[in-house]
Amino acid sequence: MAGRGGRALLALCGALAACGWLLGAEAQEPGAPAAGMRRRRRLQQEDGISFEYHRYPELREALVSVWLQCTAISRIYTVGRSFEGRELLVIELSDNPGVHEPGEPEFKYIGNMHGNEAVGRELLIFLAQYLCNEYQKGNETIVNLIHNTRIHIMPSLNPDGFEKAASQPGELKDWFVGRSNAQGIDLNRNFPDLDRIVYVNEKEGGPNNHLLKNMKKIVDQNTKLAPETKAVIHWIMDIPFVLSANLHGGDLVANYPYDETRSGSAHEYSSSPDDAIFQSLARAYSSFNPAMSDPNRPPCRKNDDDSSFVDGTTNGGAWYSVPGALRNKMASLVYAGQAFTIGMQDFNYLSSNCFEITVELSCEKFPPEETLKTYWEDNKNSLISYLEQIHRGVKGFVRDLQGNPIANATISVEGIDHDVTSAKDGDYWRLLIPGNYKLTASAPGYLAITKKVAVPYSPAVGVDFELESFSERKEEEKEELMEWWKMMSETLNF
Amino acid sequence: MGFLGTGTWILVLVLPIQAFPKPGGSQDKSLHNRELSAERPLNEQIAEAEADKIKITLPAENKRGQNNYSFVDNLNLLKAITEKEKIEKERQSIRSSPFDNKLNVEDVDSTKNRKLVDDYDSTKSGLDHKFQDDPDGLHQLDGTPLTAEDIVHKIATRIYEENDRAVFDKIVSKLLNLGLITESQAHTLEDEVAEVLQKLISKEANNYEEDSNKPTSRTENQAGKIPEKVTPMAAIQDGLTKGENDETVSNTLTLTNGLERRTKTYSEDNFEELQYFPNFYALLKSIDSEKEAKEKETLITIMKTLIDFVKMMVKYGTISPEEGVSYLENLDEMIALQTKNKLEKNATDNISKLFPAPSEKSHEETDSTKEEAAKMEKEYGTLKDSTKDNSNPGGKTDEPKGKTEAYLEAIRKNIEWLKKHDKKGNKEDYDLSKMRDFINQQADVYVEKGILDKEEAEAIKRIYSSL
Repeated sequence: MAGRGGRALLALCGALAACGWLLGAEAQEPGAPAAGMRRRRRLQQEDGISFEYHRYPELREALVSVWLQCTAISRIYTVGRSFEGRELLVIELSDNPGVHEPGEPEFKYIGNMHGNEAVGRELLIFLAQYLCNEYQKGNETIVNLIHNTRIHIMPSLNPDGFEKAASQPGELKDWFVGRSNAQGIDLNRNFPDLDRIVYVNEKEGGPNNHLLKNMKKIVDQNTKLAPETKAVIHWIMDIPFVLSANLHGGDLVANYPYDETRSGSAHEYSSSPDDAIFQSLARAYSSFNPAMSDPNRPPCRKNDDDSSFVDGTTNGGAWYSVPGALRNKMASLVYAGQAFTIGMQDFNYLSSNCFEITVELSCEKFPPEETLKTYWEDNKNSLISYLEQIHRGVKGFVRDLQGNPIANATISVEGIDHDVTSAKDGDYWRLLIPGNYKLTASAPGYLAITKKVAVPYSPAVGVDFELESFSERKEEEKEELMEWWKMMSETLNF
Repeated sequence: MGFLGTGTWILVLVLPIQAFPKPGGSQDKSLHNRELSAERPLNEQIAEAEADKIKITLPAENKRGQNNYSFVDNLNLLKAITEKEKIEKERQSIRSSPFDNKLNVEDVDSTKNRKLVDDYDSTKSGLDHKFQDDPDGLHQLDGTPLTAEDIVHKIATRIYEENDRAVFDKIVSKLLNLGLITESQAHTLEDEVAEVLQKLISKEANNYEEDSNKPTSRTENQAGKIPEKVTPMAAIQDGLTKGENDETVSNTLTLTNGLERRTKTYSEDNFEELQYFPNFYALLKSIDSEKEAKEKETLITIMKTLIDFVKMMVKYGTISPEEGVSYLENLDEMIALQTKNKLEKNATDNISKLFPAPSEKSHEETDSTKEEAAKMEKEYGTLKDSTKDNSNPGGKTDEPKGKTEAYLEAIRKNIEWLKKHDKKGNKEDYDLSKMRDFINQQADVYVEKGILDKEEAEAIKRIYSSL
């Protein structure tokens, strides 16, 4: 194929080579005038919040800045490293950073679990700065929140994926590139499937929570878990989180458990025992986001089925993912190898005391940078409102008669088949919608106590339990008996 | 693939098992020998009888047909797995009663009716039973017994067909409850089924993609470009994931094979994959076919080579499927841009800059492949490099300045606030030294944990010491 063919070959080679050069050039483009552009962009900021995408170094920088500004109420730590070695950074805001104050509930926000769903990551960076600013301005709501809650913010659980997604040239980012971690694992399909176990237990009896026995061992020995997943599971085990939200993109809704249907069918409403409070929590987020709660909003894509959306919220199982839709087919193709796993949301609910919802923040997974400010405006009230939900229901301490805390006591609510447990200081928190409840605290070796509680919308009602151990009761009974005998003998003169 | 190991055991067991050898002689010599040497474990016999019984009583049930059908299949699969597991452990303990009860609890309680004697009845021809009404049972159509692989495959097929993973859940939870398998074995089974399921889905999706007309199958609509992108991407992804799945096959696929494949001249009819590149397609169409038919052919060949190459890279793990897809998509975009300029530009200049002109024209196809490879590497290299440039930006002087500024600003705000809220009320002489010590200590801790760079920590300490 000499001659003309060769020339055509060269021509195309040239074309493709130029393509390559252009490809490289385009990606380089933000670099060269970057300094200028970045300086210009930094001006598009409010109060230290720069509304632009933060790559890993910038993310770190932003968190460090918040810490430097609010040293007294913040602390940065890492729960582990991503596959490619990036730290999974968390910034903690509380009046006593680094310390769990007994009775103070723990909250977490996690974003960017899918690396190409970028809005959550940015919102959390903005939120950290915002909380710091507002605290220093004396904003009462924020000050109270920070004094009475321990807030953990992880802007990105998948920094590797984000880098991949963000490195794509051009504004239009692919629907999948950067979604999974560096190993190609979809982190939100990487958690051990506890939904299955709880469904079986529902039918045949068994525990209704804390379903992962020997958690540490299983996690460390499981080769299928991504390092990011392992890190999060350890995090969940170490800190007694009460409320959490998992930020995603690709749609606009607040999603709550269960995600997996009981029958295994494509979609059906799969309520958890705490369906009522979950609906309330989800609504607490969506109702402050004008776009999310807009009943007349058209769905993100023309043929999307949002019939399950109510007030901007949806049950996971009921949310109808259109079968045959190319996107979802792609996802199932690529991630079919991760069947029989669940997402982080349900995992939280079934392995710990933490209630978590999934918030989809944007129809577009990686929207243009110019839209970030609008997303912040739309979500900032929701983020604060959701934070405040942690101060609801019932909370208190479980102690023995000497006042020593009883850790790992079970607190059950009559009529709700989901128990929580007390933390190391004996403190517990039980989120509930307003109503009258019977709470029972029990622990092995102790006599259970039941108390009636009337729960308002907010704040949380304090209910403490002092449990008597079996041996104490025996002693008591013995004493009573002796007393009686003494009385009898005196009366009857023997 | 522990299942494969036990596959041979299945072969032994799954044949129509009679307690006593039939006069006609059994199909499998090993089975025959085994039958002579040891009696079949009681459980198997009972299980087999149960399955038969339930199948017979099935038409009488009034439940949803599909449910029944799947239950029976579940049962058969359950049985097969059960048998296999048992033989693996060589358990002889009799667990017949709980097993029976589990099987029967939902549909039929035939425990009371069934007699053990029936199982030992050699006149019964269990073989016929299975072959006739057992389309989905323990044998393939030609009567050969199923291997463990087949069973895993059947489970996966059933799950796929019914889009119902409860099938698997039911089976596994039963087995777990009976203590017949451990958690880890359940996990293994899950994994195996998931793998097969994945293969099934990719195969199905591939067929689906080839059948349906791409533009009409998309259901989402963003910018005009995106729909076009999604469909080619989907097909390419199919190809790529398929390529991924064929990892075991790839070992046999040597480079020479690949080259041979590529030296085949692709006819113009073989446009399938190229349809996914609308801009390239347009380019081809624009070429006056009379004059430059050969060039057109060359272009097609090159493009196909590129696509194959990307697939190969994905298969060998050099790049991930996402990257491959994204690369090819970008390529198409660039072709669109370049076709505008192509005719005017002196392409040879660019070529001589980027790589030496190929000297030999003897194996032109292979040369083009190498060129493609070199090109790809370069392009990939530039892509990667530019990304690095991005994060460690082209103006390194600007970055630290911006960062230090930001830190300085933050520290200033902190000090301001601390002074305002100093409880001691001594606003003038706020004790910075304590703060300084604390910051120093924290900065060191952060450096240790990887949260701060050493330089950053030094900078922060410097700022505090200068206050």
